[in-house]
Amino acid sequence: MDQTEMSQPVTDGVILRRIERLQLNYISSIDEGPLDDWPKFFTDKCLYTVISRDNFDRGMELGAMRFESVGMLVDRATATQHAAVFAPRVIRHVLGPALVDDTGDGYRSRCNVVIYQTSPDGDTILLMAATYDDLIVEQSGVLKFKKKLVIYDTHRIPDSIVYPL
Amino acid sequence: MDGTKAPENSETDIWSEIGTTRVPFQVYQDAKIYAQELEKIFYGVSWNYVGLECEVPNAGDFRRNFIGEREVLMIRKDDGALSVVENRCAHRGAQLCQALSGNIGNAIVCPYHQWTYTLDGELTGMPFKKGINGKGGLNPGFDMRAHGLVNLKVENLNGVVFASFDHNVSGMREYLGPDMVKYFTRIFDGRGLRVVGYERQVIDCNWKLQMENLKDPYHAGILHLFLISFGLFRLDQESKCLVDDSKGHSVLMTAKGTEEGKEDTGGVRIAAPDFALTDHDLIQPRLEFPDNVTLSIQTLFPSIIIQAQCNTLATRHVIPKGPGSHELVWTFFGFEDDDDEMKNLRLRQANLMGSAGYVTLDDAEALEFSQVGLRGSHVGDAAVLEIGGTDCESNDHLVTESLIRGFYMRYRDAMGYGKAGV
Repeated sequence: MDQTEMSQPVTDGVILRRIERLQLNYISSIDEGPLDDWPKFFTDKCLYTVISRDNFDRGMELGAMRFESVGMLVDRATATQHAAVFAPRVIRHVLGPALVDDTGDGYRSRCNVVIYQTSPDGDTILLMAATYDDLIVEQSGVLKFKKKLVIYDTHRIPDSIVYPL
Repeated sequence: MDGTKAPENSETDIWSEIGTTRVPFQVYQDAKIYAQELEKIFYGVSWNYVGLECEVPNAGDFRRNFIGEREVLMIRKDDGALSVVENRCAHRGAQLCQALSGNIGNAIVCPYHQWTYTLDGELTGMPFKKGINGKGGLNPGFDMRAHGLVNLKVENLNGVVFASFDHNVSGMREYLGPDMVKYFTRIFDGRGLRVVGYERQVIDCNWKLQMENLKDPYHAGILHLFLISFGLFRLDQESKCLVDDSKGHSVLMTAKGTEEGKEDTGGVRIAAPDFALTDHDLIQPRLEFPDNVTLSIQTLFPSIIIQAQCNTLATRHVIPKGPGSHELVWTFFGFEDDDDEMKNLRLRQANLMGSAGYVTLDDAEALEFSQVGLRGSHVGDAAVLEIGGTDCESNDHLVTESLIRGFYMRYRDAMGYGKAGV
């Protein structure tokens, strides 16, 4: 799992800006929508997992969400919009700067993220403190996530996780 | 009330005028009733879930958990047996272990003044017991044996560990009754268990609403649009709702593929009737028990749920956090002999359950809607439970609230309220 020994820090400013842009567009698809855009940031075969730090540190792979293909991501986006019952809410991601390394198999990007949630009554809570650990590859000139681990510290979630993170 | 005998709890007998089909809204939000529930139910004559035996494989391993609002430690002792003690020092009341799990070696040592206990909770010593140079320290007459940790009665039923503050409680098998043992051991058949992972979430509603939700098959074919959309659950499936003699425990189960013809959806409104799954891998289960049951939910009084939907198996522990909130702890498990395919199925199908689950997300939200809605209620307002009649019996269909009515029969009994007239 740890590819850091083989990895080289990415210093190319163009690549770093493209990766930053990818991350900002990604969170925008969730925070601002449309959610149907969210799966488009992944390669066809991919791994998207929202997993607690508690499980991760115990070597357990169980995630609150775990999808292995764009199809599964599309299903989640569709179900969330059309086959789920929940109170309306607004999600807001705040990203920290990323550490980006070239692993040879792609760019590994790690950054902290905090996610706020606001209810219809206007109350905002911290949904979770988390970190992204991503593997990003270039396909036909477009950067996509081959792997995105959302590892959340807040393993007693103060609510439910409605939207992808 | 028949008028022949005053109920034990007459001062707060809010049930006295009503039968099985009403639940006064106070029981979901009254702080005094909540305090009584903790004492009479959780700290009284009941068996409470504390974890799976496989979580503490080695001597000195512990897992911290809650019974009601009291913290307990499940500990593996040197002789291989399990003990459960309250996680509170007998000296000044400090919390002993802070981690959720770990290994404490061969003694429990309080971090504050290092009072030291055996893994059974017997006090064995403390620093400066005899003072310094003959000054200070403990009175020689201090009875070490009278100052141990609160020790709970423990029972391990095929790898699932229960504990009780009341040492006079009957054995676990008797507590469950033969029918409930049968369905419990359908899943916990004695094979070694393994934890697949945990999820924890806070749901802002009374703990009983969570238990009711798993005793309410009526909602499943209505609320859970995901299941309905993909034909994973139909109210016309071959099904059973079973209650034990005490009415406090129950099982509901359905078998897929037994229904015939077009579903009678009972007028349920589906927002996206054309919605089809893009990737069907998510819902391709493998039969693993010797029957064709694809969903079984067992609820044991007072607050543990055992879920087996397709291949996603979990205990759901309902931990009360005041009248208006509870924590739900999911321990997803499998068996030691799971092959790689089964391990993957369990991870994949876990998408249905948990804090982000396709199915359980709806439940958590609906339960919070309930708690919010209750806020404005007046004394005398009550929930109406007349779906499927007024009885608390077992059924061979799902359009019934009999299991919820049964839960409150048991609840009234445990709380010392008068019995309901049907």
